[in-house]
Amino acid sequence: MSGSKPDILWSPHHADRYVICDSELGLYRIGPVGSGETKAGALPLSVETAATLLAINSDTPYMKCVAWYPKHEPECLLAVGQANGRVVLTSLGQSHNSKCKELMGKEFVPKHARQCNTLAWNPVDSNWLAAGLDKHRADFSVLIWDISSKFSPEASVAAEKIRLSSGDTDSGLVVTKPLYELGQNDACLSLCWLPRDQKLLLAGMHRNLAIFDLRNTSQKTFVNTKAIQGVTVDPHFPDRVASFFEGQVAIWDLRKFEKPVLTLTEQPKPLTKVAWCPTRMGLLATLTRDSNIIRLYDMQHTPTPIGDETEPTIIERSVQPSNSLIGSFAWHPTSQNRMVVVSAANRVMTDFTVFERISLAWSSTTSLMWACGRHLYECAEGVGGEGTVEKDIATKMRQRAQSRYGHDTVQVWKNHLLAGGDDPQLKSLWYTLVPFPMQVSLMKQYTEDVEQKQQGSKQALVYSGIKNIVKSSSGTTENRRCWSGSDRQTDVPRFHSEERSLALRLCGWINRGPDINVEPFLRSLEGEGEWERAAAVALFNLDIRRAIQILNKGASAERGDLNLNVVAMALSGYTDEKSSLWREMCSSLRLQLKNPYLCVMFAFLTSEPGTYDGVLYESSVAVTDRVAFACMFLNDAQLPRYMEKLTSEMKEVGNLEGILLTGLTKDGVDLMESYVDRTGDVQTASFCMLKGSPGEVVKDPRVQCWIENYRNLLDAWRFWHKRAEFDIHRSKLDPSSKPLAQVFVSCNFCGKSISYSCSAMPHQGRGFSQYGVSGSPTKSKVTSCPGCRKPLPRCALCLMNMGTPVSNCPGTGKSDEKVDLTRENKLAQFNNWFTWCHNCRHGGHAGHILSWFRDHTECPVSACTCKCMQLDTTGNLVFLSRSQSD
Amino acid sequence: MDLHILDHRLRVTSICKNGLVNFTHPLIKLIFLRNRARCKFFSLTETPENYTVVLDEEGFKELQPSEHLLVESSVWLPLNVVSNGNSSSSSQAVGVTKIAKSVIAPLAQQHVSVFMLSTYQTDFILVREKDLAVVINTLEEEFNIYREVGGEYSAVLSQHVHNGFQKNGKEAPQLTVHPLLIPQNQFCVMSLDPDTLPAIATTLIDVLFYSNSPKEGALPSQDLDCIKFFSFSLIDGYVSLVMDTEAQRQFPADLLFTSSSRELWRMVRIGGQPLGFDECGIVAQISQPLADNNISAYYISTFSFDHALVSKPLAADVTGTGTQLYTTEHGVQNFRRGYVLILTNRGHCSPLDKG
Repeated sequence: MSGSKPDILWSPHHADRYVICDSELGLYRIGPVGSGETKAGALPLSVETAATLLAINSDTPYMKCVAWYPKHEPECLLAVGQANGRVVLTSLGQSHNSKCKELMGKEFVPKHARQCNTLAWNPVDSNWLAAGLDKHRADFSVLIWDISSKFSPEASVAAEKIRLSSGDTDSGLVVTKPLYELGQNDACLSLCWLPRDQKLLLAGMHRNLAIFDLRNTSQKTFVNTKAIQGVTVDPHFPDRVASFFEGQVAIWDLRKFEKPVLTLTEQPKPLTKVAWCPTRMGLLATLTRDSNIIRLYDMQHTPTPIGDETEPTIIERSVQPSNSLIGSFAWHPTSQNRMVVVSAANRVMTDFTVFERISLAWSSTTSLMWACGRHLYECAEGVGGEGTVEKDIATKMRQRAQSRYGHDTVQVWKNHLLAGGDDPQLKSLWYTLVPFPMQVSLMKQYTEDVEQKQQGSKQALVYSGIKNIVKSSSGTTENRRCWSGSDRQTDVPRFHSEERSLALRLCGWINRGPDINVEPFLRSLEGEGEWERAAAVALFNLDIRRAIQILNKGASAERGDLNLNVVAMALSGYTDEKSSLWREMCSSLRLQLKNPYLCVMFAFLTSEPGTYDGVLYESSVAVTDRVAFACMFLNDAQLPRYMEKLTSEMKEVGNLEGILLTGLTKDGVDLMESYVDRTGDVQTASFCMLKGSPGEVVKDPRVQCWIENYRNLLDAWRFWHKRAEFDIHRSKLDPSSKPLAQVFVSCNFCGKSISYSCSAMPHQGRGFSQYGVSGSPTKSKVTSCPGCRKPLPRCALCLMNMGTPVSNCPGTGKSDEKVDLTRENKLAQFNNWFTWCHNCRHGGHAGHILSWFRDHTECPVSACTCKCMQLDTTGNLVFLSRSQSD
Repeated sequence: MDLHILDHRLRVTSICKNGLVNFTHPLIKLIFLRNRARCKFFSLTETPENYTVVLDEEGFKELQPSEHLLVESSVWLPLNVVSNGNSSSSSQAVGVTKIAKSVIAPLAQQHVSVFMLSTYQTDFILVREKDLAVVINTLEEEFNIYREVGGEYSAVLSQHVHNGFQKNGKEAPQLTVHPLLIPQNQFCVMSLDPDTLPAIATTLIDVLFYSNSPKEGALPSQDLDCIKFFSFSLIDGYVSLVMDTEAQRQFPADLLFTSSSRELWRMVRIGGQPLGFDECGIVAQISQPLADNNISAYYISTFSFDHALVSKPLAADVTGTGTQLYTTEHGVQNFRRGYVLILTNRGHCSPLDKG
C-alpha cells in the first residue's frame, strides 16, 4: 500500500468499480472490451474486459490502509489510514452531494502518532470505523471512531487544537476523541467486525488474537498466537476466521477459539493477503510476497470444522493469473470466482476468473455428467451419430445383454446374430464354438484332459484348438494331384491325415465323411455372394475351372462386379511355365488387387511349392481359410511352426478368430485377455470362457475377473434378471460357482433348519424337495420338524400343516386355467412354498396366500388387520405383471 | 498483569567518544540494514561521556573488540509488563511510574540491579540473566510471568526456579547520595515508520556521528546548561527516538510521530560519578516519589548514568515543588541554572556548596 505495495478494493455496491491504492487512489470501471463506453484510454484486463480510469485522488500521502464505506450512500467514501496514525475520510469521482461533503476531509487523530495498520467499517452501524494502530507505551492501539461525531467540544481538547492547527489547515474537521479505546500498550495489526454481533470486534494484536466486546470493554476473549495478521471472516460461515503469520495460514472457529482448527501448509515466503471468496463456499485465496501465483484452498467438503479430531480435507491448487509478480488481488463481490489482480509494479491489472474444479461421473449407461461451478452438463451417446461412429462397447454389451446374447446354448452360432451379426470376429468365434456332433465325437480324443477322457462322455468336452490337434498329427500322406478338369500333373504336393481332415472340418471347408469335398462349402459361399472367397477355395482345391465358373457367376450376379470376368480371364491363362510372361506379370500385378482373395489366388499360382507366404501371411484373409490352406499344403515340419506363429500373432492382436487355433485353453485365455484389453468386451469373454474346462480355464483368475465384472456390469444396469439368468447359465457350465443356500426355514420350537437337519447334502440348498414341495406327489410328506418332531405351522387358509402339498382347488381363478402346462408345473412348485408376512407373521402356502391377496387387502387370519401385501413392494409388482400378461 | 521475559539476550556496551570512528560501519549496518544484520534489539544512546549501545548477541557479533569498546560482562534479559487489556485508564501517568511500585520497588528490595530502557512504545526492564530466578520469585505474586521462546510465550512456574533461587546475599548497601542534574534543554520522544528510515538517513547520521564537530571548543558551562543526549532504538521493528528540540529541528517534521499534544520533557540526570552496574535501588529511588505523585516519566539508563525524563509541565514538581517533596528526607540544592538533588537515606538534607 505504501508506494511499492498496491492493493485493490472492489466497490461494495457497484459490481463494475474498484479502487487501486498505491501511492494514490485510482478509481476504475470495468467493462466489456470495445464497448461504446470504453474509450481509447481503456486498459485491457482480459480478452473480454477492459478498465477505464474514472478518477484519481492523491490528497492523502503516506497511505497505509484503505477501507470502503459499506453502505450505499455516500457512494464512494473511503477511509485512509496513514503512517502517522491519522485516519482521513476521502472520496473519489463524486459529485459532491451534501452528506458526503460534510464528511470529506474529516480527520481522526490518535493521541500518540504511530502507524495505522488496519481499518474496518462496522457493517451494521456504518458510522463506526475501527482503526488498528502500532504500539505505544501509554496509548491504546484499537480506536473506534464515530464519523458523525462533532469535533471536540471540550475545552482541554480545544487547547490542543490550537497547537495542532499549525499542521492542519482546517482544524475544524479534526476529531481527537474516539468512541472506544481498546488494547492499551499493545499493537494492533488487523481488524474485522464479527457478523455475529455488531459490537464484536476481532483484532489481531501483538502475539494474540482478541475479541473485544463493546458492550463490556473491560473484558476481552483472547488467544495467544503468532497468526495475527489479516484476520478475515468467512462470509459463508460467520464463525470461521482466517489469519496468517509469515507463511502460515491459521483457520479458527470462534466457537472453539483455544487453538486453530487447522493450519494450512506453510509457504516458503511470507504471505501478504488472505481472502475468502464471497461467491463460493469455503474457498480461500492466499498470496505470498514476490509470487506470480495465487494459492487456493478449497474447504468445500468440511461440513463442521470442529468436532472430530480428523483434519478436514482441503484441496489445494494454484492459479496463475498473469506472468508478472502479483501485488494484490480482490475477489469480485458478486461475479462467481472472479478476481482482479494487480501486478506488484506498474499497476498492470488482470481480470481473472478462477476455473472451477470439474467433478465428473460416468453413468452405467454410457452417459457422462460433469459439474462445473453452478452448472451441470450431460453428454449422452448421440442417437443421431449412429452408423458414423462405432458405438461404445458398453452400449453394445447392454444391447446384446438385452437380446440374450450368449444364452443360446442349443444353436451356439446364433449368438453372433444376437450380438448384432455385424462383427466378423464374433461370427468366427461362435461358429468355432459350435459343438457339432461330428466335432464332438472326433474331438473327444483330442481333448487335452486325459482324466476327462477316462470319465467318459458325461463331462463336457472342451475344444482345445486346431493347434493342438495338428500337433499330434501323424501318418501324413503326401500326394500330387492333377488340376481337376485338366490332365496336367501339378507339382503341388498336398498332405492328408486324419487330424488334417478334422482341422479342415473345423474350418468349415468340408463336411463329415471320408471325402474331401468342398462343393457344399462353395455353394454356401456362393449363396452368400462371397464370390472371390469361393473362387479362392475352389482354386486351393486345384479346381481352376470351378474357380473360373464361380467368378463368372459372380460377375453376372445382381450388383456383381464385372471385373471378376477379367480376373477369370487372367486365371484361365494359368501356366506352370516357370519363366512365362503370365507368371511374371501376375506376381507383380496381383499386389494391386484390392480383394485379398483374388490376391492370394494369384499368389498361390505363382509361388513355388512349399513356400506359400503370400497366402499364409495375408492378414485380410479369414483365419479359417488360411488355416485350412496350411493344413492342405504345409508339410509336418512347416505346419506346427506356422500354427505357432499364427497363434502368437492372433494373441498379440487379440483376434477372436484365433480361438479356432487356441481353443478354450490357457492359450485361449491369453488371446481373450488381449481381446478384452483391446475392446473391454467382458461379456463375450465371460460367455466364451465358461465353455472352457472348469478345472483349468474357468478357474483362471482372469476369467473369474471377467465374469465378476460382467455380473457387476449387469447389476449396474439394473439387469437383475439378466444377471440371474447369467448366474444360472454359469452354474450349469461351472457347478462350483453355484451359490450356497442363503435362506433356510427354521423350526419354531427347536430353531433348527427343517431342511438342514435331515439333508444329506446340507449345502445343496435343495431342502424343500424332501418335504413334498418339489411337486412330485409320490415323495414322502413331512409335516413335522425333523429335529424335534413338532408339527410345522399350519397354513392360515387351508389350515393344513405346512409341508403338505397344496391342492389345486382353492382360489383357482381364470388365470390359472389359461396358463400352459409348464408354467402350471412351475407354479405348482411355488404354490407349496412357505410364505409369511414379516409384519404380522401370519402366512401359509404361497399359492394360497397369493390367491387370497388377489381379492383381499387384509391378512387372512381373522382379527388381524395387517395389510400384508401392501407392505410388500414386489408383491404389488407381481400383481401388476400378472394383470398385464392376462 | 502479565510480565513477559522476552527472547533477547542482551549485552550492554559503551563506545568512547574518540573511538566512535572504529564502529561507524557496524552501527550504520545495525541501524539501516536491519534485514541484513539480523539484530532484533538495538539501542544507541549518545551522552556527553560516551555512546551506550545495548544490543542482542546477533548484533554484538558485529562489534569488533577494541580498546574503545567497554562491555559489561553479564547477559541481560529484557522484561516487559503487559497490562493485559485491562483498560483502566484512570491513571494518567504512564511508563516507569506505572511499574514503579509493582516491579521496580520489589526488585530493589531484593537487591536486583536493573537497567531501564524506555522507548516510545514501551518500557524495558533489563535484568541480569543470573538474577532471573530471584526476579521470577519476587514478581510471581504480582504477575503472570511468561517466557518467550521462539516467538511463543509459555508460562513460567516458580517451581522451575525454586532450586536456583537464592537471595542475592548482599546486605542492603548504604544508599549512596547521587547528585541530580537537570539540564535546560527540552526533549521529545518520537517514533518513525521503519520504512521511512532511509528518508532520514543522512540527518540521523549527521546527528549521531557529527554532533560534536560544530560544538567543539564550547565552554564547559554550556555543557551543563544543555547536555547532549540522543537515543535511537530499533527493537522488534519499532523505532524510538529521544532527542532535544534542537536536534528535532533537523528532521523533517512530517515523518516523525509523536503524541498529538507534542509534549516536551525535561531530563533529570542521576549520578555525578559513573554509577556502575551493581548498585541497586537507584531507579526505585527516583520512580517511587514520581509514582506517589502520579508523574509520568521515561527512564533511560546508560553505561555511566541514569536519565529520567519527566513531562515539562511537571518538571517544576521535581525542581521547584520537589523541594517540598523531598524536604524531610532529601535535600535540594540549586546548582547553577540546573538543579542538583541530593538523595540520602538518612532522613536529613546534606546540601552541597554552590559550584
